[in-house]
This record gives sequence, C-alpha cells and structure tokens, in this order.
Amino acid sequence: MEERREIVHTQDVTKVYTMGSEEVHALRGITCTIYSGEYISIMGPSGSGKSTFFNMVGGLDKPSAGEVYIDEVDIAQLGVYELAWLRCRKIGYIFQTFNLIMVMNAIENVSLPMIFAGLSADEARDKAAELLGLVGLGDRLTHRPVEMSGGQQQRVAIARALANDPAIILADEPTGNLDLRTGREIIELLTAMKEERGVTIITATHDHKMLAASDRVIWVTDGQISRIQKREELDIRVGSIEGAEE
Amino acid sequence: MTTPKHIPFSEDTSAHKLMLPWSRAVEICWRNVLNRRGRFLLIFISIAVVVAFFVSTLAYQAVLAELRRSDEVPIRAALEQANLLTHDDAGDRNQRDRTIWLLTLSGMLCFVGVCNTMYMSVSERFREIGTLKCLGALDGFIIRLFLIESVFVGVVGSALGALAGVLLMLLQLVMLLEIEYISGIMLLRTLSVSVPAAIAGGTLLTVMAAIYPTRAAAKMKPVDAMRVEV
Ligand SMILES: Nc1ncnc2c1ncn2[C@@H]1O[C@H](COP(=O)(O)OP(=O)(O)O)[C@@H](O)[C@H]1O
Ligand SMILES: [Mg+2]
Repeated sequence: MEERREIVHTQDVTKVYTMGSEEVHALRGITCTIYSGEYISIMGPSGSGKSTFFNMVGGLDKPSAGEVYIDEVDIAQLGVYELAWLRCRKIGYIFQTFNLIMVMNAIENVSLPMIFAGLSADEARDKAAELLGLVGLGDRLTHRPVEMSGGQQQRVAIARALANDPAIILADEPTGNLDLRTGREIIELLTAMKEERGVTIITATHDHKMLAASDRVIWVTDGQISRIQKREELDIRVGSIEGAEE
Repeated sequence: MTTPKHIPFSEDTSAHKLMLPWSRAVEICWRNVLNRRGRFLLIFISIAVVVAFFVSTLAYQAVLAELRRSDEVPIRAALEQANLLTHDDAGDRNQRDRTIWLLTLSGMLCFVGVCNTMYMSVSERFREIGTLKCLGALDGFIIRLFLIESVFVGVVGSALGALAGVLLMLLQLVMLLEIEYISGIMLLRTLSVSVPAAIAGGTLLTVMAAIYPTRAAAKMKPVDAMRVEV
C-alpha cells in the first residue's frame, strides 16, 4: 500500500441495547482505522458484536456513543438524504441471508441500486448484465432467487453490492449459509474485487477460511477489540489453511 | 492497484441525485403484483366484497326510488304488486335509517378487514423494505411504491366489486319486478353515479388502510426492518 488513505475510522463506538430493564452492551468502545483497498475481517465468536459493528459502519444503525467516520465524514452528521446516498453509492452490502428481492430476477435485483442512483433503465440493465457476468452468472440473468442455489444468490448479492462502484463492501457473514466449497468461491470473488477494483472489503465473520484472504484481522470479543493482526502475523493454523487454498 | 473513485458526499449531493421515477416505480409494482398473484387475489376479493355490498345496496335503493317516481301505470302496478310502493313516509324514513345504520356498521367492519389485509401485505415485506433502504431507497421511494400498489389494488378490487354489486342488484330487482319495467337509460343514470362513487370510495379506503403500515415501515431503521422475521 503506497499511500494509505483512511476510509473508515471508528472512535470509541459503543452500542447499548435496552430490552425492557436489561441493558446489553453489544459494543464497548471500538476504535479502529481501516484504509482504502484493504481486506479486513472482523473475527469473533457469535454474539461478540460483529453484526452490531457492521450496522454502525454501514450507517444502518446509530451508535449509543462514539463516532463513525467514512472518508473523514462523521456519518452521524448526515441528513437522511446524504445517508441514503452513502448507502446507495459509497457502500455495498452483503448479508448472510443474501436479502435479494424475491419477486425480482437476478438482473432486476442488480439493477435496483443503479435505478436509485439515477441511471436509465437500459444503462442499468447493461451494467447489471456485465456485473453478473463478472461473478460468473452470465447465464442466469433472468433466474429468480428461488431458482438459484445459495452460492448463486450470494453472487447476485455481490454483483448488486458492486452496482454503483462503491468504495467499500461490507459483508456480514457472507459465507455463513454456504458450504465449504461455495464459501471459498465467494471469498475468492471478494478477493478478486479487492484486487481488480480496489474496493475496500470489510467482512464480519467467524469463518476461519476468511483469514487467509484478509490483509488484517480485527479480533473482537465481547464487544471489544482483543487484537489486530496483519496477515504476516497470523499463526500457523491459518498458514495451513492458506496452504490448502493454493 | 487502482484506487477507488473518491466522491466527496458531504457536499453537493444534488449532483448525484437519488431517484425513483414514477414509470420505474409503476413497473416495479406491476412485477410485484404479477409475482404475488395469489396474495393479491385475496386482497382483491376482500376489497371487492366490501364494494359489491355497498354498490348493490345503494344502487338498489336508487333504482327503486327512480321507479317510485315514475307515473307510468304498469310500473306503479308492478311496484304495488311487489309491495314496494310505500305511501307511508314514516316507514320510508325508518327503512332508510336502518339502511344507513347497516351500511355504517358494515363499512366499519370492512375497513378493519381491509386494514388488516393491507397491514399483512406490507408487514410481510418489512425485510425487503429494509433491504431497499440499504440499497439507497429514500423513505419517499418506499411510500411511493406502496402508494401505487394500494391505488392499483384499490381500483381493481373496487371495480371487480362494483361489477359484482351491479349484477347482484339486477338479480334482486328481477326477482321482484318484470325485467321490462327496468329501462336501460334509467339504470345507466343511477349506475353512472353509484359505480364511480363506489370505485372511488373503495380505492380511498384501501389507500387509507395502507398508509399507516407503509409510513411505519418506511421510517424504520434498515436494521430494524430487516430483523423482522416473517
Ligand atoms: N436488536 C437487538 N436488541 C437487543 N440485543 C441485541 C440486538 N442486536 C444484537 N443484540 C445483542 O448484542 C450482542 C451482539 O450481537 P451481534 O452484533 O449480533 O453479534 P455477532 O454478529 O457477533 O454474532 C449479542 O449479545 C446480542 O444478543
Ligand atoms: Mg452476526
């Protein structure tokens, strides 16, 4: 990384959910910086706060305290319009459960964010077809989600996330509902997106297959960062997984 | 390595407008209806039943009133025979009061029914609404989509209901009177008022029933909308 540009910075982000009289401290002060073009994995056991962090960074929910900066802009200061614009143009989201629109086929799903971004129907379709080709679904353009496997649906979701050339792709357990091999294919696809398009990839996951692809791993336990490792520092267990992947 | 295009988004967002043109919104709604035919058929029926009931009752009363005003001897004779020619003003008023009361009560019941149907129809798509918001949909887009849908559903459901209502009313009439006494022009005159009124009323009812859940859904944070398990 020649020049490291900060793309995401969180400062003491905490999140407290109140359920009746009970308080759940999902995040207990997360401070980290993510640089443009990085592949980051947020690793941690289930319930450690990964999805909560994902939602904060993605502008899908607001922190109880602390700030989230994207491109040095505090997103809490954004109005509804700018926030929607951020979600539309700046960030692409990928979910564990794919979250495709069930009544729309692949090309319509991928076109949707481009329609919102003001592209004409034809432009959107052409680009959607191109993106679906890129993720290996060139022959599935008019299939609906129910007519596709989990892996294929997640590919559609990746194409949709790329629709408006976002700077950041946020992925919450993208391999969580997929088998080993399909999961690996999705990771390879994300890696390719990072390499070919320079997209910053942030995944929340407890899938150790993800480690090998990551430039850095942010380990989260109980709502706190326990350590941050660069790829070179990852231990031998990961090395063996990396070896198996070649 | 290529660096991603940097678009400062805090300033001048007007250069990058978010939009959902009406034509696209209509198209999305149309696909939605096509792909959820079964569900929409049920909604159509629930609205049609209400409208059919109103149209048949109101149009029947209107036609009868027209007939009573007629001074043609055969019509009066026929009405007399069917015991429909009341001279008793008090009885008339009584009858009308009862009809109004019945219509109000059933109207309220029906409104609750349509509200429930529309609420179901919106709430089972909370997750999709959350997803749309993640893709950059403004609250207004969501409201626009559901507004178009509810107008469409309202118009189609009401039209079906009006058709059924007219048929019902005719059936009711011919059971009482010989068909020859019911002139086409007179029918047209009464129906040209009650049918459009029923379609407008039914559509308004449907849109009103859809507004509350749609607004609630559109205002939800994406996370909350997506968390809803259906
Ligand atoms: N909407 C919510 N209301 C209450 N508690 C929540 C909510 N979302 C998450 N939590 C709690 O916050 C903690 C972190 O959850 P989450 O971020 O989903 O973890 P992860 O994604 O790492 O599995 C958990 O204890 C979870 O029960
Ligand atoms: Mg999670």
